[in-house]
Amino acid sequence: MKDYKMPPRGTRRSAVNALALAGLVAGAGVPASSYADETCASPYMKKITGQEDYVYVWTLGAEGIGDEQDKLVTVATNPKSPSYGKVVHTLSVGGRNEAHHSDFTDDRQFLWAGGLDTSKIFVFDVRSEPGKPKLVKTITDFVAKSGGVVGPHTMYALPGRMIITGLSNNKDHGGRTALVEYTNAGEYIATHWMPTDSDLQGALKTGKYADGYNYDVRALPRKNLLVTSSFTGWTNYMMDFGKMLADPEAMKRFGNTVVTWDLHTKQPKKVFDVPGAPLEIRCAWGETHDYCFTTTALTSQIWLIHADDKGEWQAKAVADIGDPSKIPLPVDISISNDDTRLWVNSFMDGKTRLFDISNPHKPVQVYEKTIGAQVNMVSSSWDGQRLYYTSSLLANWDKKGQDNEQFLKLYHWDGKELKEQFAIDFYKEKLGRPHQMRFGAYALYAGSNAGAKLADAR
Amino acid sequence: MAALRNSFPVRAVRAIARRVSIGLATALLVLLPAAPVPADPPPLAPGYRALTYVPPQPGTYGLPSLGPAADGPIVDSADRDVPLRSLFGDRLVLLSFIYSSCNDVNGCPLAMAVFHQLQARLAAMPGLAGQVRLISLSFDPEHDTPEVIARAQRDASSPAVDWRFLTTRSEAALQPLLTAYQQPVEKERDEQGRLTGQFSHLLRVLLIDRQGDIRNVYTAGVLHADLILADLQTLASGSEPVPASVSAAASALSAADRLRAGDDKTGYADAGYRTRSVAMEQRHGKPADLLAMARKRVAGLPPLPVPADNPLTRDKILLGRKLFYDRRLSLNNTFSCAMCHIPEQGFTSQEQATAIGIEGRTVRRNAPTIYNVAFLDRLFHDGRESTLENQVWGPLLAQNEMANPSVGFVVDKLKGLPDYRGLFEKAFGRPATMETVGQALASYERTLISGASAFDRWHYGQDEAAVSAEAKRGFALFTGKAGCAQCHTLGSTSALFTDQQFHSTGLGYRDSMAREPETQRVQVAPGVAFDVDRSLIGQVAAPKPADLGRYEITQNPADRWQYRTPGLRNVALTAPYMHNGSFGTLEEVVRFYNAGGVPGETLDALIRPLELDDDEIGALVAFLKSLTGSNVEALVLDAYAAPVGDPQ
Repeated sequence: MKDYKMPPRGTRRSAVNALALAGLVAGAGVPASSYADETCASPYMKKITGQEDYVYVWTLGAEGIGDEQDKLVTVATNPKSPSYGKVVHTLSVGGRNEAHHSDFTDDRQFLWAGGLDTSKIFVFDVRSEPGKPKLVKTITDFVAKSGGVVGPHTMYALPGRMIITGLSNNKDHGGRTALVEYTNAGEYIATHWMPTDSDLQGALKTGKYADGYNYDVRALPRKNLLVTSSFTGWTNYMMDFGKMLADPEAMKRFGNTVVTWDLHTKQPKKVFDVPGAPLEIRCAWGETHDYCFTTTALTSQIWLIHADDKGEWQAKAVADIGDPSKIPLPVDISISNDDTRLWVNSFMDGKTRLFDISNPHKPVQVYEKTIGAQVNMVSSSWDGQRLYYTSSLLANWDKKGQDNEQFLKLYHWDGKELKEQFAIDFYKEKLGRPHQMRFGAYALYAGSNAGAKLADAR
Repeated sequence: MAALRNSFPVRAVRAIARRVSIGLATALLVLLPAAPVPADPPPLAPGYRALTYVPPQPGTYGLPSLGPAADGPIVDSADRDVPLRSLFGDRLVLLSFIYSSCNDVNGCPLAMAVFHQLQARLAAMPGLAGQVRLISLSFDPEHDTPEVIARAQRDASSPAVDWRFLTTRSEAALQPLLTAYQQPVEKERDEQGRLTGQFSHLLRVLLIDRQGDIRNVYTAGVLHADLILADLQTLASGSEPVPASVSAAASALSAADRLRAGDDKTGYADAGYRTRSVAMEQRHGKPADLLAMARKRVAGLPPLPVPADNPLTRDKILLGRKLFYDRRLSLNNTFSCAMCHIPEQGFTSQEQATAIGIEGRTVRRNAPTIYNVAFLDRLFHDGRESTLENQVWGPLLAQNEMANPSVGFVVDKLKGLPDYRGLFEKAFGRPATMETVGQALASYERTLISGASAFDRWHYGQDEAAVSAEAKRGFALFTGKAGCAQCHTLGSTSALFTDQQFHSTGLGYRDSMAREPETQRVQVAPGVAFDVDRSLIGQVAAPKPADLGRYEITQNPADRWQYRTPGLRNVALTAPYMHNGSFGTLEEVVRFYNAGGVPGETLDALIRPLELDDDEIGALVAFLKSLTGSNVEALVLDAYAAPVGDPQ
């Protein structure tokens, strides 16, 4: 791994040069055994394999904190920067939209960030000035265009388009929902409803459940596989967490399914029973590693979605996370570049756990550390040496009182220990609740300020 | 430099030829100039190899449009200026942006290689080949001159397949095309800042139909001849499935399925639970003549009370219905009345014990059904409103419900929405005002009357076969031993099953006064539940707001924890029950009363242990289930037909 050295302005290498000459940026779209996750990015986009310059933190506005609205917070993360570990830019977008997940288009020109409550999608130009993202488009008609899908969650780059998981609908605010496709320019393409009992759309219901819920989506291109998981609808993800846990009716409204799809045709193929709200999905990178992981939030298990010896997709629980009876609530996960390690965060105990997944059928926990009173997201550099953590899960699920710590923390991982490098208190900085992190780097771009279509479309 | 660029195929294809065993490499090799081979070439894209999975069956899937393919001035290999779109329309087009000196093996050379494969394979498919055009458009007009592309055109020409090589007159002419096709291209520079002649770009190949619409985009990871051929055949055959919200595999819904929650969780506590989910897209509407239904006397119900200053009209009802389902009627456009009063969930919400409002803000009480709300003397669980016209402004303005900041905000918003233009004027002869908004919503809600149940046909209609013997026995208990009818009253010709009064069952008292148990049973999956330490739940729980019931209105200590007696019509559809939604089933409710409620201050004297046995409890439940109105389906289907207002 070569050290990243930012070239002088005007002489920065393009992404392709970086690929060919410096090894800083992994090429897009080509399955490769050595290419790694950079926090589990879409395989169709370039990845930063060197030092990231910025972390973009999609941050929920919090009542009583600063300007109370959602914002994209840019933090300098290159140790060579004089602003290392500092907030260098914030961009407020108006309202509290339940800011949640974000991700780049396949060309990594734009960062799409969704609001689970208002169903708005904010599109930021991160190319023109990587240290100063610009809001270039706000999609306000996602619900109407999609035919009633509420809660755009995962923004996942496919070739020339974004595929977006919905979490709910505008009829009952429950969990039945869909996948929605948009062009990179922000135009609606299609809605693919999750399979339900009355309309399995040709999919095989392999067990007892076909709830029609959705959460995350990931692709395994060389197997033509798309995988989705399932969480809960608006009524639950917006509800006070304590109120919900004490409400037996609400607790029945969680997803218990994983669906495998034909990636090319977007047709569902199999519906698997994965009880207890399977959330994040991470697929292995190795050429022969035909599997993906997910973890269940409520039942606290690691599940493996894998091809059996006949090439058929199967799902099975392969490990517990902590003591499931204590509901540690596994949230974000991150797979390592060589498919040997899986970081698993659990919200309630504020811990990050490292599992050895060399044998994907038998993950073994090898390390754990408490990051804070609560922890949600983890984003890893591609080499696995830098791990960023944020604290917020959902506005009304976060802990209350003293335990409501809101931070971004960077740790270095030396193979044995996590060592904190910096921490930013997002409440002291009057920012809000930090959620998803995405990385930016000058190496991704040639440094041009050429305009983009979305900049004109707002 | 330009002199070396004497042919379109790129230098790095030599590298491909060395590493790829398939026949296309040979075809490419003959076109190659000499070129250095990268010392550590990246892995080859899938397009150079056999597909690792079975390609899709043409015609079995859709390729939804990604919008129109942009036009722009281009130059063809005969040095003629033509619009790009002149090459669309008569054939299916595959458009690739490339440049001649590209040395990224998984960039332009890949596009060229795949086009060569397509050329070869289409030659054996004359029917399809005649419908396809391949276009390679350079984004390096400086070097890829008409002369260069003419040479490439000659080299690549094939009688079987139309393959065009194109360029542009200048970068100025090119740039709008690159922008329109989202093809970012950057000129690369070396360490000294000199141009290398290379471009940083993300390979994109576009599939364009005969209407000039983009139907697919291929980047390096998916650019494969097998997939492209499947897509071409799908478009060429015209057998692409017509986009439909409900698939051909969907099963027909029974009437019962249409009337229940589409996400029915009955039996979820058991490990044997199986989903019975209904596709959202099968929630088809059928408008009903609500005015005619409201004007008709319904068996078992008294005459419909209608205020003299707000007579029912079709226009008012329709407008009220539109308002009721409009999520824009909240501060942040997320919340309509119907988000808590969901038609197929008994016009309440079966998915939560007590409601939440915008931004998930806690509402203290269970969302009451609005079936037969027209007959109520007092509204809300605490009876703080007396007319529907006034009541509707409660949720609209409540900070924890729809959170509109003022009456004027709502009225002005409605006046600004194009789809409301003229509707208030048509219904009321005047624009939206605080009064007319209330009157419209009240008019719709007033029509949600539901009677003529099996019970009515038996009790008031003397149809002995209308209900089971068990239900009849339950009714006898209801009016006799169990004493339910003391509050859930009946008349000689009609019954609302409510005395319109306020009583304490002890549930409110318990919520306010009892110590919380040390653990809370939490179900985490079907058949899986844990007893969780309350202190853990306390970490994520906001303080529970107090609820003192009717006392909050009267300020009379005797009224603490009293709530309005709810009517029982359609009660089988309106779980969960009680003002706090604490019971999920009717049986739980009956057992609660059988135990005498919760002893304590202000417990109603009428509530006492009933000493019912299990059979009697079952009979009471059977009776309660006989109270479902005959027009529920019509009302629910009419509700489905209402537009859901979302920002456009």
